[in-house]
Amino acid sequence: MSSRRPTPLAETINATLADLLERNPEVLLVGEDIGRLGGVFRVTRGLQERFGRERVRDSLLAESTIVGHAVGLAMSGLVPVCEIQFDGFSYPAVNQLVTQAGRIVNRWNGDIRLSLVVRIPSGGGIRGVEHHSESNEALFARVPGISVVYPSTGEDADQILRHAVGMGSPVVICEPIRLYWRRSLPGRLDEPAASPTSARIVRRGADVTVATFGAITNDVLAAAEALSPSVEIEVVDLRWLAPLDMTTVLESVTRTGRLLVVHEATKDVGIGAEVAAAVSESGFDALKCAIRRLAPERRDYPPADFERDYQISVDQITEEVLGMVK
Amino acid sequence: MQATSLSDDLKRSILRHMLIARGVDEEARQLQKQGALDLWLSCQGQEAAQVGSVLAVGPEATIFPSYREHAAALTRGVPADELIAQWAGRTFCGWDPWDRRFFPYTLVLAAQTLHGVGYSMGRRMQKLDDFVVVYVGDGATSEGDMSEAMNLAAVESASVLFICQNNGWAISKPTGEQMLTTVAERARGFGIESSLIPGDDPELVHRECVRAADHVRNRRAPYLIEMQVGRIHGHSTSDAQELYRGEEDILRTAAADPVAAYTGRLTELNVVDAEWLRGVESEVRDLREQLMKRYAS
Repeated sequence: MSSRRPTPLAETINATLADLLERNPEVLLVGEDIGRLGGVFRVTRGLQERFGRERVRDSLLAESTIVGHAVGLAMSGLVPVCEIQFDGFSYPAVNQLVTQAGRIVNRWNGDIRLSLVVRIPSGGGIRGVEHHSESNEALFARVPGISVVYPSTGEDADQILRHAVGMGSPVVICEPIRLYWRRSLPGRLDEPAASPTSARIVRRGADVTVATFGAITNDVLAAAEALSPSVEIEVVDLRWLAPLDMTTVLESVTRTGRLLVVHEATKDVGIGAEVAAAVSESGFDALKCAIRRLAPERRDYPPADFERDYQISVDQITEEVLGMVK
Repeated sequence: MQATSLSDDLKRSILRHMLIARGVDEEARQLQKQGALDLWLSCQGQEAAQVGSVLAVGPEATIFPSYREHAAALTRGVPADELIAQWAGRTFCGWDPWDRRFFPYTLVLAAQTLHGVGYSMGRRMQKLDDFVVVYVGDGATSEGDMSEAMNLAAVESASVLFICQNNGWAISKPTGEQMLTTVAERARGFGIESSLIPGDDPELVHRECVRAADHVRNRRAPYLIEMQVGRIHGHSTSDAQELYRGEEDILRTAAADPVAAYTGRLTELNVVDAEWLRGVESEVRDLREQLMKRYAS
């Protein structure tokens, strides 16, 4: 175990973007208030001063414009990395993402590279007003032509961003807002992922596999720490939600015989359902008990005063795990 | 740019492309009736606007079409069998978009307008030819993306020529119920210079598009031309326009057929003669036969 690097997520992403801009003349950043202001979360702070207004572009306040014209920029051979200000504002861009960006490579019979990255600050726990705390990763994960990834550490965000800009097809990167500036985080196993597109085992354990992603991964790790050594949890940070790395999950479930999926987005028709179904199909014989999912019930993200009731807590995770091993 | 008159060679080229487009369109309609095509969106009535504009903007312009630009595609050199392939369910795009600088059809209305503006911006950033032509129909101008694209093109001063073919109908909704101003007026509201012209005279269309293309290239700023065209058939082979459109209007539009009108005009002026027309007819017949063999079997 190593303790987390003290550099917060936002600073790591900033450094990675700077390095990509430095090394790759095709890369440019596009988003609302990302230049002069440095982004509402200051993730792009200082980049416009360094790389100029042409390459770090303050876009119009119109999400369909951001993604729609970025499709054209990408067609021209550039590699736009867009920022949507908040998850809840990504919906005006959904048409351009789903019917256009996600389909263009196929529409062109594979004869075009569409390197287009859309960063979406996501999730709650920040006392956000309406539309500022949503988790819409499962919506995009449903779209065959879009890859969806949800890194939960700076190290992963760095690896994933560098990979995403070279994929030649659109990638949605959800970034956990509440981890942007957090410096103290639970320790993780210092074991690299098998590849930039695979899941990552961030804690080893023999009793229960917990598959999770995003900010809540830290709560799962805290629960694991609390239960150890009486129950040892293996924590799989899925990272990529589309396509999912089921190999890593299935190998883990084969070892532990138990699977719990935890996520911040609502449970219904969510990523957890997909992971659970895939393990039922391919890993059923290894299971010692029913697969469980822990996620908020189907309802709108509440006003800030009620978000603690909505969010899955460390206690709920430990309780769920104990229910599986009793 | 002076409004010079077109050479006889160019006039013959325009008419030839219009006649070929008409023949291919007619064959596609037949093939759809026979079940060989799943759908066809006829461009009959819009040939003058499409052929005139495509020839005017030149081969270097990158074209972002909507989905009814068959005459434009054929004039750009897209082979007829490749044009039809997607409507027979064989592909989403039958031609090589790079080779023709004619990008795939976009069926989600106005989505391509933002791509066109972004493409032009990206080309300019890379110091490459940034002249882009975006085709859009009147119905699509109601989409938010059209307004966003016009605004973006204006504030970025993008080298984009928007060509709006206003055929009077958004499927079954007439233009009068779609908008209170013309599209050309709307463009000016965004700070884009524009003009409104009849789209049934290919020579007028050609002259206006040459002028507009010069404007875009020289000023490196967008321009919009709205062309009033007739829609001879329904929106697609799936709608019977008799259900929502007056018989008189349908007959009037058919009678104002720009292909017949231009054929008559060039014949009268002795720019073409019966022998020349027979030559093109035979070319069209061969083309139709090839399409039938390829798709009806």
